[in-house]
Amino acid sequence: MTIPLAPEVAAALRDAYAAEWARVVATLIRATGDWDVAEDAAAAAFARAAETWPRDGIPRNPGAWLTTTARNLALDRLRRRGVEADKVREWIAMEELSRWSGGPPDPADLAGDALGGEPAWDDRLRLVFTCAHPALPMESRVALTLRTVGGLDTGEIARAFHVPEATMGQRISRAKRKIRHAGIPYRVPTADLLPERLDGVLAVLYLIANEGYLASHGDALLRLDLAAEAIRLARLVVALMPDADEARALLALMLLQHARSAARVDAAGDLVPLPEQDRSTWDAAQLAEGLALLAPATNARRSATPSAPGQAAATRPPGPYRLQAEIQAVHARARTADETDWPAIVARYDALAMLADSPFVALNRAIARGMAFGPQTGLDDLALLEASGRLAGYHLLPAAQADLLRRQGETDAAASRYREAIALARTTPERRFLERRLAELHVG
Amino acid sequence: MEYALFYAEGADALPYVPADDNVGEWVDEVEARGVSEYGERLRPEQDATTVRVRGGEVLVVDGPFSESKESIGGFDVIDARDLDEAIEIASKHPVAAFGRVEIRPFVRWPDAAPDSRIVPAGFADRPASGRRYLILVVVEPGGERAAADGGEAEEGGPEAWVREMDDRGVRLFGEILRAPADATFVRRRHGEVLVTDGGFAESKEWIAGFDLIEVQGGLAEAIEVASKHPMARGGAIELRPLWPLDVYEDHVARTEREAAERGLRLEPTATEALAGVAR
Repeated sequence: MTIPLAPEVAAALRDAYAAEWARVVATLIRATGDWDVAEDAAAAAFARAAETWPRDGIPRNPGAWLTTTARNLALDRLRRRGVEADKVREWIAMEELSRWSGGPPDPADLAGDALGGEPAWDDRLRLVFTCAHPALPMESRVALTLRTVGGLDTGEIARAFHVPEATMGQRISRAKRKIRHAGIPYRVPTADLLPERLDGVLAVLYLIANEGYLASHGDALLRLDLAAEAIRLARLVVALMPDADEARALLALMLLQHARSAARVDAAGDLVPLPEQDRSTWDAAQLAEGLALLAPATNARRSATPSAPGQAAATRPPGPYRLQAEIQAVHARARTADETDWPAIVARYDALAMLADSPFVALNRAIARGMAFGPQTGLDDLALLEASGRLAGYHLLPAAQADLLRRQGETDAAASRYREAIALARTTPERRFLERRLAELHVG
Repeated sequence: MEYALFYAEGADALPYVPADDNVGEWVDEVEARGVSEYGERLRPEQDATTVRVRGGEVLVVDGPFSESKESIGGFDVIDARDLDEAIEIASKHPVAAFGRVEIRPFVRWPDAAPDSRIVPAGFADRPASGRRYLILVVVEPGGERAAADGGEAEEGGPEAWVREMDDRGVRLFGEILRAPADATFVRRRHGEVLVTDGGFAESKEWIAGFDLIEVQGGLAEAIEVASKHPMARGGAIELRPLWPLDVYEDHVARTEREAAERGLRLEPTATEALAGVAR
């Protein structure tokens, strides 16, 4: 036996943390019913791995090693407290008899399994649904998901959301308290609740991704890549619920957007709008993965769990994430900006506008219609939107008007709209971008 | 796990449609499932009386502690498997269709017997032998919180009051609720169940617990009982007479009959009650 090199151990630990944290915590929460004990024991198991793996070598099945170590540590903690130790011992005895003795199973095997009519859900899915329970405030759902499922440290999450660490710590512990005191169940919702609760889970992931996307406009350097975290979490949900069409679509949407992150900002830190981006810098692997996820699910997948939402994707109208992802897919497929199939994008925005009466959808739909059917069509739509007052004070409304006026050659009107937008812009890069556009008008 | 359900209109209330009121079916279902402990309707807020003690003086005001949209119209105590079942039960209640149902967990005492219940067994079938009031224990911003925060028993907490009122045979049951941060609101709109967190504002008053009392001496005795509650000193006690509901009654007919009564104050004013005029 050779003694493993330190970098190897470090890499193994990093991989194990990324791959196993959620599984270890999720299993321990089910066993102990105590979120704090579960998290403490999981953290202690990883700390023990850092001590013993360099000495004893990396275990053949790191996941099983970590789960066993963590559950023993959890048992110690509960024993010291003198409560519920029987329950844990019972659970360990049960686990040892079951298939888990050979190491944790692959999530995809479990998610599709049906035992006694109820799908045998992976514990991580219980964790995901509990963290996103609608009885928790939205900001707590986001924080708890990143902490408990994502395994991120409270300080990292706090910095990502620009709040003091103490505030974030309080938010997370208050959420755990509510789970305990209000009796929020630790389980995957029953079939009748599953579609709406899954929407809630996806909303949390979407918020995390959006926060990451917004962060890339500002002081992104020291911040955690929330968009990458959101992708990691969405991958987990897709692996656990392969039949959920909207989950796949959300992952696709995230990947297609993330693929463009390098092209979105130039060397000077200025924003580069989509038509001017260097498409060769788009991440081809992420684009390909995103596009593949939007392809219809195979029959084998569709028939695996009859209760899962999205299984009737072929007959059900596409959901909001699929529509948004398909819009990004149209951009991804266009080799140049001029090749963009704008009528296809308009069709998706039409469908989105039917699903939700959102002024932001209306704004994007107007822009797409302006690109597809001529600037005046878009300007007419935007005039109606402006008259409704629903986007009053939002800089992207005058910015969109300015852009369409510019395309129509109405330079003076465009300049006045750009000035309006500059006055309303919220971040420096956005303001600089609009100022550059304004300057270009006078030059041209 | 036991929960209190509080019914109110809330800020986004729709008009009440008596023909859609299926509370009888709801009661049948929760009783058949064995999740219902007790529930009752309250007389409208005009008949509420709010009691405070400040500087040793009993201050009595006619009316509820809060604005009428938030005022509670009824309550239930249920024993559900978990919050998801409580949400399901709340969402089926007719009030969820036009107003909102607030789900509040109770404080669970570590030394409580595992089979102890908020409402004593068989209570719902026991006929009233006096005038019943629901006592709402209200924490007011800036007021002292006493033991109402879901915390441990403290000196000057409600234990002595509970003991005294139990001995007098006045207090029927009651319990402290978990803080509003642990509350969940349920509405049903356009066929969808909307679940939201409590959305607790520090600046607002909130209900920290309740007791059901039964008195022989009418409102005057109820005020005396309320004024002895320790939370009357730091917060407020709202007294609400019960307005028993025949759940199987025709709701359209009931609504017409009650329409006239609804705007009236049937309870004596606090001044009348305390002066003995109402007798």
